[in-house]
Amino acid sequence: MADKKNIRKEEDQSYWAIVRRQFRKNTSAVWSLRVLTFIFILGMSADFIANEKPYYAVIEGKTYFPVFKGVGVDLGVAQWPKELSNVTWRELKYDKVVWAPVPYSSTTNDFKNSDYKSPLGEQNIESGRWRHRLGTDNLGRDVLAGMIHGTRIAMLVGVISMSIALVIGLFFGALSGYFGDNRMKVSRIRIVLNILFLYFAWFFAFTTRSYLLADVLKVSFLGFFFQFFISLLIFGGIMLIPNLLAIPLKKINFLGKTIEVPVDILVSRLIEVLESVPSLLLILSIVAIIEKPSIFIVMGIIGLTGWTGIARYLRAELLKVRSLEYIEAAQALGFPEWRIILRHAVPNALTPVLISVSFGIASAILTESGLSFLGIGVPPEQVTWGSMLSLARGYPQAWWIAIFPGFAIFITVTIFNLIGDGLTEAMDPRLKQ
Amino acid sequence: MFKYVLKRVVIFIPTLILISILTFALSKMAPGDPVKLALGNTEQSGESGGSGEKMAGEKAYRAMAEQLGLTLPTFYFDFSNAALPDTLYRMVKKGERDNLERLISMYGNWPQIEAYFHSIKQLEFALLDTKQDSTTYAPGRIIRENTGRLLLEYKDRNVARYVAEITEASKQSPNFNNVRIAADKLAANYAAVKAKATPGKNNIPAIHWYGTKNQYHRWLTNFLSFDFGISYVDKRPVWSKIKEAMPWTLLVNVIVIFLSYILAVPLGIASARNKDSIPDRITTFILFIFYSLPTFWIATMLVIFTTTDEYGMNWFPTFGLGEVTPDMNALEVFSERGFHLLLPLFCLIPGRLAYLSRQMRGAVLSIFRMDYIRTARAKGLSEEKVVWIHAFRNSLIPLITLFAGIFPAAISGAFIIEIIFSIPGMGQVAYVALVARDYPMVFTVMMFSAFLTLIGTLVADVMYALVDPRISYK
Repeated sequence: MADKKNIRKEEDQSYWAIVRRQFRKNTSAVWSLRVLTFIFILGMSADFIANEKPYYAVIEGKTYFPVFKGVGVDLGVAQWPKELSNVTWRELKYDKVVWAPVPYSSTTNDFKNSDYKSPLGEQNIESGRWRHRLGTDNLGRDVLAGMIHGTRIAMLVGVISMSIALVIGLFFGALSGYFGDNRMKVSRIRIVLNILFLYFAWFFAFTTRSYLLADVLKVSFLGFFFQFFISLLIFGGIMLIPNLLAIPLKKINFLGKTIEVPVDILVSRLIEVLESVPSLLLILSIVAIIEKPSIFIVMGIIGLTGWTGIARYLRAELLKVRSLEYIEAAQALGFPEWRIILRHAVPNALTPVLISVSFGIASAILTESGLSFLGIGVPPEQVTWGSMLSLARGYPQAWWIAIFPGFAIFITVTIFNLIGDGLTEAMDPRLKQ
Repeated sequence: MFKYVLKRVVIFIPTLILISILTFALSKMAPGDPVKLALGNTEQSGESGGSGEKMAGEKAYRAMAEQLGLTLPTFYFDFSNAALPDTLYRMVKKGERDNLERLISMYGNWPQIEAYFHSIKQLEFALLDTKQDSTTYAPGRIIRENTGRLLLEYKDRNVARYVAEITEASKQSPNFNNVRIAADKLAANYAAVKAKATPGKNNIPAIHWYGTKNQYHRWLTNFLSFDFGISYVDKRPVWSKIKEAMPWTLLVNVIVIFLSYILAVPLGIASARNKDSIPDRITTFILFIFYSLPTFWIATMLVIFTTTDEYGMNWFPTFGLGEVTPDMNALEVFSERGFHLLLPLFCLIPGRLAYLSRQMRGAVLSIFRMDYIRTARAKGLSEEKVVWIHAFRNSLIPLITLFAGIFPAAISGAFIIEIIFSIPGMGQVAYVALVARDYPMVFTVMMFSAFLTLIGTLVADVMYALVDPRISYK
């Protein structure tokens, strides 16, 4: 029995296991992870915690589950029965009813409690169940409900924008880090053909389809992503042609001569350009040219501009990794480059990326709340932490609107920073025993 | 050294060009018709008066478009397709041009579409020259509205409806002789567009070369000679507005960065020397909180709690930079401005300070692990000498490289603070311009901040080379 335990301990010397062990020693990071889990669950189940619709209701002998139905309606798979469409849920006559813990949605206007009702002061309510525990704003919207729904927005912003940033950052980071300035040797013919066909691929994938893409974007995001995916397929398909053509053509001596492509210089310059425009201003200018504001567009823009950190970290790590023996071994075995990059190089260089993602989520949340604080890029009816905080500027008496949403932003940002710090420490080779 | 600096400057040129292309592309994508915005959005009604007045309106429009350089092609070349004519840029009205591009993408036969488009215009003029009386009023209105719509409509169903309505209305007045002819021609031309459609031409790629007479070239050369155009809002030159705003942004950022560095260096060294002691832990904790505090939250809280009477702590001014009258002496001006800048600076410094001193602490700690520090200690140097003579200079190196990253972050961070405290800097100007959709202003500010950032990077690079003798200037 004791022997088995020892063996297991010794087996667990993989890099990730060490990192995990080191991370667990960092109490504040571990606690941050716990709080994050809580916030994440809170955000994802916002509809079930703060909702103006009841969980369960019996009206005139009929049984309904309005909260669940509401989720279905939002997803487009269900429809409200006629008697329940456009109703004020609070004023219906119920035989039996079970309300959500916070019986308000973020957009519910409680007109009886409009114009900033303090959480400590008197509120115009029938019973304690309807009390606005964190007060209301100018339109009588419940601050607590807004906070809970704002959590979901913040989590979505972090996850979606960083996923986009991760894809782009990994791509460019891997390219420039692995190939550097002299490792990518390409035959002349392949370069010429690729540049030539890049034009055709772009033309047929995006130029000729631009109106189609623009039209479908106005209708739905899902349809847009589908069409965009088709565009990407066309693009990839056309780009296959030059690379297949190059195989026989490079047998010709002149055409087959290889050139070193300075990938690193090109990517580094691109990163430099993006980083030299102050990010907030870049995002603001992009948001400004969009006619119909949407939180998803903001997420997309944050992702599109926020990948440089990931790419830089991955690049720096890969520059170290690529000269290690096991990469040489893989090259000696004749593995194709993409396989070495994907299977051997990148997985061993991912740790600093994780740190960058963690800090990146913090800054994405900060950027989004800054934008909604300024009221730019987010539709006015959307309740977010930032938009709530901005209301406080116009009405200094409402300390509750200044304190709670700001505190929520602060805590979330702190958590991600602490996790990033914990990861940094856990991955520091000097701390390994 | 000179060569090194020169090399860095030369590297900036492609970067700047890329930034300028990015900015220009964004400005081109901005919604709205720039000519109308520049003219002050006065819609030429064309309801009364003859074709002469309409012509005058079109002329004014064209003159403004020419003044803004919008009658030129957009870029040195364009990648388009065989269906699009290379002269489409001459169509100055953005909405009409976009609509024509749509029609071409649908039917692909430019000659027919051009004829159709001209017949719409001819109909407009024919209607304006018609003698007005009671019989022309109602049908005239239908025709006028529908021709206006046709210029901006591409969906076949709607176009067919408008054309049918026009044909119907043109038969309703005896004065409509010319109008009827024009309307019939319009209907015939639209039928021709549909009959002779060659949508396949859209799938043939084509490249047009325009040379240096293009909007981007003009914009860039103007930019380099400090001509940034005219603000849509108050018709003032953009440059004069930027000139007023930039000193404030620079002032705030220089103070913030200077104070943060001054405070961060001793703090970082002290907490590294006493690593894991209780004071170190407390400072690390406080600095961590500073680092995560959203500046706009602190600012909002400070504005609410310390600048209003609500909580009995009305200690600071809320907005602006105070009034400075000519008869005030330097000290008074300084104290007035300083008093107003106190809160904004207080919001901005903690974040930078925390970041820098964390980095400084880390740098000093890693230097302490170096062999030469052990050697210095082993040969019996006092701790003071070890720290200040051997460790200090080397630990400054990462701090200097950070300057390149801090500068853009500081400008970004100061933007929101400028807006909250109404400091008339670049952030405030950009925000006001954004809300008013004053695009020349927005994109000039963007170019300028990028430019400032690049200069910040250059300064960091040069200082880096100065401090670290290991860096070769080649």
